[in-house]
Amino acid sequence: MWIYEKKLQYPVKIKTPNPAAAKIIITQLGGPDGELNAAMRYLNQRYSMPLDVAKGALTDIGTEELAHLEMIGAIVYQLTRNLTPAQIKAAGFDAYFVDHTTGVYPQAAAGFPQTSANLQVKGDPITDLMENLAAEQKARTTYDNILRLMDDPDVCDPIKFLREREIVHFQRFGEREQSR
Amino acid sequence: MKYQNRPSTNMATQKSRMMHKIREYDFAIYETALFLDTHPNNSKALKYYSKLRAERNTLVTEFQKEFSPITIYGNMNESKWNWIKGPWPWEGDC
Repeated sequence: MWIYEKKLQYPVKIKTPNPAAAKIIITQLGGPDGELNAAMRYLNQRYSMPLDVAKGALTDIGTEELAHLEMIGAIVYQLTRNLTPAQIKAAGFDAYFVDHTTGVYPQAAAGFPQTSANLQVKGDPITDLMENLAAEQKARTTYDNILRLMDDPDVCDPIKFLREREIVHFQRFGEREQSR
Repeated sequence: MKYQNRPSTNMATQKSRMMHKIREYDFAIYETALFLDTHPNNSKALKYYSKLRAERNTLVTEFQKEFSPITIYGNMNESKWNWIKGPWPWEGDC
């Protein structure tokens, strides 16, 4: 089971709303290499994983991804607070707004809803660990691309934290692969 | 003149400082736990984990008594359900 801790893993305090930025960052909530897919990939791979060391890493990294999901949700929420209709239109946020108002919906930046089609649980320990190494790099690239498009330090700071976690997770999954 | 931390009378500041400290501990503990997951026989890491864990528990107990619960197991006030009291984490408080 899981217990909720009433705090973010890393603080998110955004002063200036920016719906155009929210439209991009939401991809780490429900996009192909987003945090929801990461959590679902690792937590569901556990059942067919024969090694205790890998079961531990899948459980704890999968759980941390849920904390990252919440950070991305907080970023999207804070970027879309107190918007005027003019701001919504100017930012191109109107297409999202008409379907979800300012609710936080797990979708990719391109607009398609979250789908498990972008992750794999193959049931083979080597294959699944390799899948995870690739997944961490794909998420890291996505954060790099987000950082290329952002200039607000309130947004970049938590995104940099999340980017760094992908590197640590890659490292841990790689060690799993070696000590098999 | 010697620099001194000005004692804060502001509860919100105290709360956020203490939460900051807890977050630092939690980060270090989580990072150590991930390391131990793949290096379960590393006695140095295990010792570090044990030290942080004890300090973190003291801090969390103090925070929950003084301010608000961090988990549903931490509502220390017997006459009030403080768990649902905002602001919630995504609202920019913690």
